[in-house]
Amino acid sequence: MNRLMLVFNSLLRRRMRSSVTVLGVAIGSAALFSMLSFEKGYQDGIRAELDHLGAHVLVAPKGCPYDAASMALHGASWPCYLKEEYLQRVRSTGGVATVAPLLMNAVYSTQSSTPTVYVGADSQILDLKRDWRIDGEFPQDSGSCLLGSSVAHSLNATVGSSVQLPGIGLDDATKPPMVHVSGIIRSTGQSDDTFVYLPLDRAQALFKRPHQLTHMLVRLKDPNMLERVVSDLRGCDAGMDMNVVPVAHVFRSIQNLVNTTRMLLACVAFAGLFAACAGVSNAIMMSVTERTREIGVMRAAGASRGDVFGLVLAETGITTTVGAVIGMLLAMASGPAVEAWIRSRLPFSPNGALIKPDPGLMGLCVLVSVLTGLVSGMAPAIRASRISPVQAMRDSEVM
Amino acid sequence: MATTTEKPIIEAQNLSREYARGPEHVNALSNVSFHVMPGEMTAIVGPSGAGKSTLLHLIGCMDLPTSGSLHIDGVDTAGLKDRQLTRLRRDSVGFVFQQFGLIPTLNVLENVLMPTLFSGRQEAARALQLLEQVGLAHRAKHRPHELSGGEMQRTAIARALINSPRILLADEPTGNLDSASGAEVLQLFKSLNSKGLTVVLVTHNESAAATASRRMTIADGQLVADIRQ
Repeated sequence: MNRLMLVFNSLLRRRMRSSVTVLGVAIGSAALFSMLSFEKGYQDGIRAELDHLGAHVLVAPKGCPYDAASMALHGASWPCYLKEEYLQRVRSTGGVATVAPLLMNAVYSTQSSTPTVYVGADSQILDLKRDWRIDGEFPQDSGSCLLGSSVAHSLNATVGSSVQLPGIGLDDATKPPMVHVSGIIRSTGQSDDTFVYLPLDRAQALFKRPHQLTHMLVRLKDPNMLERVVSDLRGCDAGMDMNVVPVAHVFRSIQNLVNTTRMLLACVAFAGLFAACAGVSNAIMMSVTERTREIGVMRAAGASRGDVFGLVLAETGITTTVGAVIGMLLAMASGPAVEAWIRSRLPFSPNGALIKPDPGLMGLCVLVSVLTGLVSGMAPAIRASRISPVQAMRDSEVM
Repeated sequence: MATTTEKPIIEAQNLSREYARGPEHVNALSNVSFHVMPGEMTAIVGPSGAGKSTLLHLIGCMDLPTSGSLHIDGVDTAGLKDRQLTRLRRDSVGFVFQQFGLIPTLNVLENVLMPTLFSGRQEAARALQLLEQVGLAHRAKHRPHELSGGEMQRTAIARALINSPRILLADEPTGNLDSASGAEVLQLFKSLNSKGLTVVLVTHNESAAATASRRMTIADGQLVADIRQ
């Protein structure tokens, strides 16, 4: 027999109470992990998406810059357009290295509930998307396309094959029903995997937007020139019709937009954890009160105050440790649902899983839960250590 | 048994214990002086509220006197800190309670071993030997709720002896037992005393008091009679 066994015996004696207490800690620590994991995943996801965009500046039609950023990143039909003539104006601005003109449109088809996103682009985009690995080549003529890896997979397309573009009507005589797949982008883990890239003039003709663009992606010669270039773009003739959005500002602004939500969620998570720890404190306090005579007998039998303090604190430690570990499992099991719920309440969310197993973060959450639990267990432990052995003789419960 | 050449194992001089009960002070014990020699078996008797249990608590280092001096096993308890009192209690004194005080989730053997968790002298063989001595070796794996009252008290006695104390204190040890079980327990005390263990028991029970070689009568917090039988 050892002290740990004595502690486990005490906890197992009141199984229902111990189980409920452990469950409370599990929920609290799961909420904490989900929140912290989501925050980390969210920041990493946004940074990765914006990095993947390959641009320092997004030029879009007038309107909400965050909507524009979201549409550019995730793909959508745009409500308004830029004139293609602005392209030369942007290209001629000092400090600009590359400008990729884009026309984006999302088309629904009968085969799928999600739209297919078509992006008209010229080869300038290759200067921005430097992490792309293309099997084949960028479309050289209007009868070719470049497919994202997911689209290629869903169409069973290979380089050199011909495919029917999803959602594009077959009855239109001016548009051939089949296009040649000139290249396939290897998986990027980003929205590009779901895009179909067409030559810009082909896309403009297909969607009846001649000489129009949805947005431009601008790469600078030197990122330190950002403020000056943005100022020049906003001050040019076309500046009144363009929304010039520095991508770094988008990142900061999106962070600020979701900060309130994140703070609220963090408060809920910490409040949940503290409530759970208050529950632990209460449960252990009740247990101590019920075992006053027993603790008195231990004191009479030679247990010091420190011994009793240690035993009761160990009960708290075991309860919170088991609860926190279960909480991590719970967080992983409920991760997709929690993520979906949080996503639905945020104005902008990056793609990919945001709540992911992270041993470091899990360890931190278990540590925080256990430490918080131990602090909350101090009161019952101190109370237990002050029980006098005399009380062992006074109480009347028989065993 | 007691020998005149040995020093007292318990020595009390003008022992007093006051309690504050609201605004008033209660003298639970007043100027009680006595000594107990090693190997004596002493019964402390008296009416309820006389101060018997208070005296037992003081002897057991579970409480400290308000005034007077008390030496236990040669150690002056005056001014001892809680840690030192605990050590003295653990090493020199074994307790037997009226309510047995067994831990319900531990079996008989584990209950006997419980004090060794704090003394660091875990000896399962000695625990089994003690259970043999109290006639409960066959019950070692049983839980307290599977035992009779007499068996529970004998388990408590084995537990009190596990750290090899020099003094065994018992507070109404037969108070919750039927007469047959009570007689068995008293016989066990007698047997332990005959092997040199100092036994002090507080009792209302005349037959329990009669088994002791000495009877100290407490009334109104004072030692009113001290008779060697």
